[in-house]
Amino acid sequence: MASAAGQKKKRAGSNTSLTFNNRMFIFLIPALAFFLIFWIYPVLQLFYYSFTNFNGINYNYEFVGFKNYAKILSNGTVFNSIGNTMIYAVVTVALSNIIGLSMAIALNTKIRVKGFFRTAAFFPTLFSAIVVGFIWSYVYMPTNGMIASLVTLLGGDGSVFNPLGNFRIALFAIAFVEVWKGFGTTMIIYLAGLQTVDEAVLEAGRIDGCNEWQLTKLVKLPMIASTITINVILSVINGLKAFDYSFIMTNGGPGKSTKTLMYQIYEIAFTDQKMGRASAFSVVAFAFIILITILMLIFMNKREVEV
Amino acid sequence: MAFLSKKSDDREKETYMKMSPRVVLLYLLITVFCIVVITPLVIVFSSSLREPANQASPLLLFRQFSSSSYVRAFTQMNYPATLLNSFMTTGLAVIVIVFIATMAAWPIGRIKTKYAKFFYYFFISGLIIPSQMVIVPIAQTFHRLNIPNTRFTPVIMFITCSLPFSVFLFSGFVKSVPAEIEESAYIDGASLWERFSLVVLPLLKPATVSVVITQGMWIWNDYFYPMVFISKQSQYSLPVAMLQFLGDKENPAQWNVLFAACVLCALPLIVIFMFLQKQFINGIAAGAVKG
Repeated sequence: MASAAGQKKKRAGSNTSLTFNNRMFIFLIPALAFFLIFWIYPVLQLFYYSFTNFNGINYNYEFVGFKNYAKILSNGTVFNSIGNTMIYAVVTVALSNIIGLSMAIALNTKIRVKGFFRTAAFFPTLFSAIVVGFIWSYVYMPTNGMIASLVTLLGGDGSVFNPLGNFRIALFAIAFVEVWKGFGTTMIIYLAGLQTVDEAVLEAGRIDGCNEWQLTKLVKLPMIASTITINVILSVINGLKAFDYSFIMTNGGPGKSTKTLMYQIYEIAFTDQKMGRASAFSVVAFAFIILITILMLIFMNKREVEV
Repeated sequence: MAFLSKKSDDREKETYMKMSPRVVLLYLLITVFCIVVITPLVIVFSSSLREPANQASPLLLFRQFSSSSYVRAFTQMNYPATLLNSFMTTGLAVIVIVFIATMAAWPIGRIKTKYAKFFYYFFISGLIIPSQMVIVPIAQTFHRLNIPNTRFTPVIMFITCSLPFSVFLFSGFVKSVPAEIEESAYIDGASLWERFSLVVLPLLKPATVSVVITQGMWIWNDYFYPMVFISKQSQYSLPVAMLQFLGDKENPAQWNVLFAACVLCALPLIVIFMFLQKQFINGIAAGAVKG
C-alpha cells in the first residue's frame, strides 16, 4: 500500500516539477470549453443526425437507420464529389508548390527589387475568397471577359473561350484560381526555408564544381525537406476544404462537375434542406479526410527519413 | 510599396548579381510572371474608376477617372457600418484567441506528461476538419444554447476554428522560453497567474504577431460563418456585404460598380499590409517554419 503510493508519487514527480505542476492545466479550461462545445460536440452530433431525417426546422424528426447513407452512396454524389475534391487538391497542391518553390528559388538569388517582386506575388493572398471569385468570374467570362477579350485582341475567337461553362475544364479553372490566391503563402514559407540554408554549404558545393541547378537539386532541396513537408501538408489540408470557388463562381456546375465535398454538403444542407442526409455526407467526408491525412503522414514520415 | 520593402533588403548590404544573359533571363521570367499575376487586379482597379455606365472594354486601362462607381458601391455596401462591423468582429476574435490560446499552450508546452501530449494532439486534430463539414450540428448547437444572431455570433466560431493552429504555434514557442526564468519567478513567490501574465506572455510576442496576422487575415476575409449566422444587413461584415453582388458578376453592365466594391472590400487589408509588410511576411513564415 505504502509502496504503491510512493511509486505513484515518484511517477508523478518524474514528469512534473514543483514549478510546472498539474495545476497549470487550469489554464486550459477556456480554450477547452470553446473547443468541446463548438467543435467536438458538433462533430459527434454529426453521427447522430446522420441517422435521422432532420430537415433543420421540424424537430419531430425520425430515425431512418442507414437510409441516408444508402441514398448518397447509391445516387453517386459521394463518389462524384470525392473525385472532384481529389482532382482539385492534386492540382492545387502540385501547382502552388511548384510555382511557389520556383518563385522562392528565383527570389532567393541576389537580384534587385526582390521585395517588389515578393510583394507582387503575395498580393493576391490578401483578398477575400469572395472578391477573388468575382475577379476571376470576370477573367473567365466568355466574349467580354479578360482572357476572351485578349484572345479576340490577338485575332482569335474570344466567344468560344468559356472554361466555367465546360464540364471538362471547369474544375481545373477554379483550382487554378485557388493557386493564384494561395501560391504567395507557399512562396513565403519556401523563402523562409531557403534562407536557413547555410551559405558555407553552398560555397563548398560551388568549390566542388556544382552548377546552380545541381546546387538547387542536390543541396538546397534536401536541406529544406521539412519545409516542403509542411507546405505540402498545408496545401493538402487547404485543397480538401475546397468550397469557395464552387460556391461563388460555378454553383457546382456545369452539371455536377465542380461539386466538391464541402460544396455538396452545403448544398444538401441549405439548398435541399436535408440536414440528416448532409450529416451522413459529412461523416463520409470525415472518414475520407482522416484516411488521406493518415496516408499523407505515413508517406511524409517515410520520405523525410530517407532524405 | 516597393521602396518600403527595399529598405529592409538594403540593410543586408547585398552585392547584387552581375548582369549576364542568364540573369537577364531570370529578371525577364520573374517580371512576366508577376505581370501575369497582377494583371487581373490592375484591370479591376482601372474599371472601378469608370462611371457605372461606361461599357468600353476593360482592357483599355485608365481612360476615365470618376468616383461615381465607388459612390454607388459605397452606399450599396453601407460601407462605414460594414467596415466597423468587420473591425469589431475581427478585433474581438483575435484578442480572445491570443488570450485563451496562450493560456492553453502554456501547460501544453511546459508539462511533459502524456496528458499534455494528449491535449496537444487533441487541439491540432482540429486543423484537418473543414468548417463547412460540421456546419449543420454547429448551427443546431447555437440554436439549442439559445445564442442570438448578433454581429458577434460568428466570432465564437472564428475563435474555435483558430484554436488548433494558435495552440500549436504558441506551445512550440513556450518550449523556447527558458524554464529557468519561470523557476526564478516561482522562487520569488509569483503565483501561477503572475507567472503566466508577467513572465511567459510577454516572451511570446513573436508568436503573437504570427497568430494575429495569420488568423486575423482569414477571419477578416471569411464570409462563411457570417453568412450562416447573420441575417440583418446592419450586422454584415465586409465579405458578407459582397455577397449581394453575386448576381452582378455575370452582367458586364454592372462590372464597374462590382469592381469598385471589390476594391473597397480589399482596401483595409491592403493598407494594413503596406504598413506592416515585414510583420506579414515574417509572421506567415514563422507560423509554418517554427511551429
